[in-house]
Amino acid sequence: MMLRLHVLALTALLCACSKQKEEAPPAGAQAPAASGKTEKKALPVGLVIDVGGRGDHSFNDAALRGLELWAAGKRYEGGKYVDASPDEVRKSLPPHLTSDAARFQALPIRPIVLQSKAQEDYVPNLQLLVDQGTRLTVGNGYMLANAVRTSAQENPQAQFLLIDSQVLDAQGKAMKLPNVRTVLFKEQEGSFLVGALAGLVTKSNKVGFVGGIEVPLIQRFEVGYRAGVKTTNAQAAQALMSVYTGSFNNMAAGKQVAQDLISKGADVLFHAAGADGIGVIQAVKEARAAGKSVYAIGVDSDQAHVAPEAILTSMMKYTDLAIYQAAKDLVDGSFAAGEQVLGLKENGVGMAEVRVDFPGKAEALQKVEALRQRIIAGGLQVPALPADLAAFQATAP
Amino acid sequence: MPERLRQLLPSVLSVLLALGVCWALIALTMEPGTATDAYLQMLWGGIGNWPAYLDGAAATVITRPLGEAAMKAALLTLTGLSVAVAFKVGLFNIGAQGQMLLGALAAAVVGAHVTLPGVLHVPAALLGAALAGAAWAGIAGLLRIYRGVHEVISTIMLNWVALSLVDNWLVVGPLRGAAEGGQSITGTAEIQATAVLPRLLSDGSRLNLGFPLALAAALAVWVWLTRTRSGFETRTVGLGVEAARAAGIPVARRMGLAMALAGAMAGLAGAVLVLGTEGRYPGTLGAPYGFDGIAIALIGNNHPLGATVSALFFGVLRAGGTRMQLLGVHKSFPELIQGLALLFVAGRMVWLALLRRRNVAPTAAAEVPRA
Repeated sequence: MMLRLHVLALTALLCACSKQKEEAPPAGAQAPAASGKTEKKALPVGLVIDVGGRGDHSFNDAALRGLELWAAGKRYEGGKYVDASPDEVRKSLPPHLTSDAARFQALPIRPIVLQSKAQEDYVPNLQLLVDQGTRLTVGNGYMLANAVRTSAQENPQAQFLLIDSQVLDAQGKAMKLPNVRTVLFKEQEGSFLVGALAGLVTKSNKVGFVGGIEVPLIQRFEVGYRAGVKTTNAQAAQALMSVYTGSFNNMAAGKQVAQDLISKGADVLFHAAGADGIGVIQAVKEARAAGKSVYAIGVDSDQAHVAPEAILTSMMKYTDLAIYQAAKDLVDGSFAAGEQVLGLKENGVGMAEVRVDFPGKAEALQKVEALRQRIIAGGLQVPALPADLAAFQATAP
Repeated sequence: MPERLRQLLPSVLSVLLALGVCWALIALTMEPGTATDAYLQMLWGGIGNWPAYLDGAAATVITRPLGEAAMKAALLTLTGLSVAVAFKVGLFNIGAQGQMLLGALAAAVVGAHVTLPGVLHVPAALLGAALAGAAWAGIAGLLRIYRGVHEVISTIMLNWVALSLVDNWLVVGPLRGAAEGGQSITGTAEIQATAVLPRLLSDGSRLNLGFPLALAAALAVWVWLTRTRSGFETRTVGLGVEAARAAGIPVARRMGLAMALAGAMAGLAGAVLVLGTEGRYPGTLGAPYGFDGIAIALIGNNHPLGATVSALFFGVLRAGGTRMQLLGVHKSFPELIQGLALLFVAGRMVWLALLRRRNVAPTAAAEVPRA
């Protein structure tokens, strides 16, 4: 047995060695350069996604959609990029952009995506991308704020895009760097709309919120949601149950929390919990299979495809668009550092199409649309901080 | 000397076999060329891109990867030592992860909230981390010595307690760093400049004092175990508790101290992470260096220097592993290689044990009729 083991090891080793010798010369010229041969002019654009990883159907997938599908016109399949059809791109666009689909021609960029295994990988991953010659490097998520600051300071010649956070200095104060564009979203406005809808849909007058890690960013979702529910259903706002899982990559935790909320009578659950939210949706799906009338509200991306029956709508956060725009600016030569804050008015957030049917659907959607118009017109200020929630009172239109 | 070499052989072969299997897996799922390229990328990412350097690229193509590898190796060395030291006294410390979390938190707190001159700040933060880790391991040690609670159970459970206490409460609650105007920040407050482990190179490489520190710790543990009386007694307890007790060795004290030392090593790993590269306790300290320590120690044959060598190797693998993603290879392959290597090493232990029993079996059978 020992002998067999050794022989195996040796054959495997020999195979590896002989292969390495054969392949050494082309690989020595560095693989990225080799793939660049086919698309010489393509600008490399890097993206570091957080520990939630690829396939969260939410925040990270939105970023990947913006960079890979829209900007580069590519689809990631089995570790390789294949060209995506225009139809595929059109289908992935949000409703307010489908008429504009022709605009989304593939740009001459080459995406390089790195997933992170742990928080301490962010800086080396950003550095690796910069060392690969990326013209723009995207840090997706507030968790990368410190890493982007470090990398941007160490590589003043490189340009960065940071999603969901400003650049923060050692004391946690916002600061500006000449080579970083930051994009923040008014999550509270989109969450307000789905909250208003939840208040109209709930029959038990109990709704729930599942957050990931309890940081101000995620609290904005909760505060907006609470304000929305309060506007349409004061009773449900009183009984609103909110739980934080403490993670963005633990599906089991999300499911457990959701099951708990459902057993307490909540019939609409809004999650802002990354991959934990997939667990929330699963729990809702299972509860529906068991005969309960429960809905989940997705987040960041339109999550209807995860469970078409169970998803009432999704609170859309168009990070994909922000990343696409940055890539387009880069190609056009107009990329500039600075701070962007995108709300309903700027189409930075929104509410996905409601595909499920429920009694009084048309009327409910009308009400939500009216609220949306008022927010865009500036007649309704949605609170963002928990402290401002108590004072919030939506005046009659 | 040949005997020593023979002891090394299974670990080396296990690692090579794991490398071969993973190469075959990538080759089967993608293309053989990709697998080889991925391995080369991993190598360049771990030890530096020497071909590019020789082609005239800046020295950073070597120093940066080496810095990353050294940083990972330092963490793995310390957690590996943690497990190895406990092994020597006959305890299986599965709690290095929890001890590391406590150490990391202690280092972050001392680094951020205590003001000391530069010369003292780093040692103070390291000491705080070592003490925190030792105290956490000490709980399991005391439970074992006085209540007979098996350390495997208690250290596993203490890992979860540490995770809940540190990650899920302290870091997101009372100890969260302050931010202005609704900014989302993760982790504790940033440590002061005096508490940062000095970088050894000035060109963007993250190689810092943590690496020589880890090597020194490994050397010190080895000297202690092999050249001092208390180290000898510790090993004796590990080989046979009753025999050691009969020989007049203070078993409880040796166990307790070894467990505390194990915790201190894991705590230092946390400190190296916080003071060396992170600058704060991050929002979630997800990386399971503590669990990796078990693999590192076992592959290193539970020898302090063996653990160091295996940590260096896997540090290179881990640091380089990220570059595999450039070729579309999944990020988990370095862990897969490590896991397979551990499996093969463990397999060899099972096999040795089986062989030994077969030799013993006839005598045991012969004794049965007499009873």
